Amino acid sequence: MIETIRIGRLLREAVAAPYRNLVTRPTGAAVRTRIEETLARSSCLTALLDFSEIELVDLSCADEVVAKLLLAGGHGYFFVLQGLREDQHEAIDHVLTHHRLAVAAMPPGQGEPRLLGWVPSDAREAFACICDRGPLGAGDLARALGWLESRSREALRNLASHRLVRPVGELYHPVPTA
Amino acid sequence: MTRVIEVPAHFDDRTFDNFAEGLGDWPPEQKLLFDARGTQWASPYGLIGLLTAGQALVEAKREKPLLTVPASDEVKRYWARAGFFQQAAELFELHGKVPRAAVTGPSDVLLDVTPVRASEDVHSVVDKISEGASRILHGELGLEMKATLRFSMALSEACQNIVEHAGTSGWVAVQAYTFRRRLGRRVVVIAVSDSGVGFRRSLESTHAKRFGERWGDGAALEAALIQGVSRFRDPGRGQGLAFIKRFLDQWEGKISIRSGTARLAIVPPWDEDVPLTDRLPYFPGSQVQIIIPAQQPERA
Repeated sequence: MIETIRIGRLLREAVAAPYRNLVTRPTGAAVRTRIEETLARSSCLTALLDFSEIELVDLSCADEVVAKLLLAGGHGYFFVLQGLREDQHEAIDHVLTHHRLAVAAMPPGQGEPRLLGWVPSDAREAFACICDRGPLGAGDLARALGWLESRSREALRNLASHRLVRPVGELYHPVPTA
Repeated sequence: MTRVIEVPAHFDDRTFDNFAEGLGDWPPEQKLLFDARGTQWASPYGLIGLLTAGQALVEAKREKPLLTVPASDEVKRYWARAGFFQQAAELFELHGKVPRAAVTGPSDVLLDVTPVRASEDVHSVVDKISEGASRILHGELGLEMKATLRFSMALSEACQNIVEHAGTSGWVAVQAYTFRRRLGRRVVVIAVSDSGVGFRRSLESTHAKRFGERWGDGAALEAALIQGVSRFRDPGRGQGLAFIKRFLDQWEGKISIRSGTARLAIVPPWDEDVPLTDRLPYFPGSQVQIIIPAQQPERA
C-alpha cells in the first residue's frame, strides 16, 4: 500500500501561512513531525512524499525532512519522492550525499525513478537495471550487467540496506510507486 | 562628551575596517555620533553594518547614538528606498531631513534592508526575493534559470545563521549594481549582518580545543567556511556555507565573512582581496557578503 503525503499541505499547516518555500530548520522539523504522525496512522509500505506544490527546498529543510526521515530508519517504510523539478534535486542530493544516504525520486510523467544522494556506482547501476527490468535475483542481475554474481549480490545488498529495493525471497523488487 | 565617527564617503566592505577602527575599544564609553553627511554611496554591506553598530550599542546598554544623514539628496533618497531609515529610526537619533521612501516600480534594490529575528522572517525574505531574483540573475546577469533557486537557498542559509547562531537579531539586504572599478560588470550582492556572539564564541565550546593556540576569530571562520563545522553535534549541520561556496566557485562569485577581528574570503580571479585577514579592528557579530557577478558572454 502507498501513502501519498502532500508536503505543500503539511508546510501550510506547519507555518500557518500560504508559503511555498520549504526553508528553515524549525519548519523542516515541523513538517517531518507531521509526516511521522501521518505514517504512524498508516499501514503503508511506501511513503510517497509529494513536493509538487513546493517552490524551493533549502539545505536545512532537505536535511530536516528527507535526511532525518531516512536516518531514523527502523520504521520499515520505503520513501519515494515525487513532484520535484530538476532544479530542486540539488539540495536534497547534496544533503543525502553528505550523510551517505540515498532516495528514489520519481520524475514528472512516467519516467524511470532517479537516485538522489550517494550509493556506490555498482548499486546505482543495479538500481537502474531493476527499475528497467523489474524484479531480479543476483544471478539475473549478474547476467544482465556482465558481472560476477558476487558483485551483483553486493550491489543488491547495498540497495536493500538503503531501502531502495524490496527483497522478497531471492528477488529484489523495485519499490512500489503505483 | 560625544565622539564623532565618520561614515566613509564610499562605504562598502573595503572601507568597513576604517569605520570599525573609528569605534575604538568595544564597547565605547562615550556617546557616539555617526556622521554620514559626506557619504556619497553605501553598499548593502555598509548600510546594514551601520545598523549593526547601532544595534550593538543598544545591546551594550550604551546611550542611543546619533546619526547625521547624508547631505546629498540623491544618496538620502537611495537609502530611503533601500529601507535604511525605517530601521535606523529605532536605533539612532536621526539628524537631518529624511525623505519618504518612493515606490517607483522595479529597482536595483532586490530586498530592502530587512530585519531577521526569527525563522518566519527567513520565510518572508525568501518569498519576497524570488520574483526579482529571477529577473536580475537570469535576465541581467546571464545565469542559468536554476541559479534563482541556488541564490534563494544561499540567502535562506545565510539568514538562518543569524537565527541559529547569533543569539540576537540581524539584517539582510540584497541589491544589484555595477562594479565599475573592481570588475566592470553587473553584480548582485547579498549582505547579512548581526551584532551577535560571532563565529569564535559560537564555535568555542566544541572546536577551540583542537586548534589550541591558533584559536581565534580567523581560525573560527576557517573552521566554519572551509571545514564546514558547526556548534551543533547534529551531523547534518554546517552544510549551508559549504554549499554556497560550491556554487559561487561555478559562477566566479565571492563570499567574505567578517567576525570579530578577522575576515575570511573565498576570492575569485577578478578580485584582489586576501583570503584571510587577521587583527582587524574589532566589530561586533558577523557580517557576510556574497557577490555574484554577471557571467562573461562565453561562460553564460
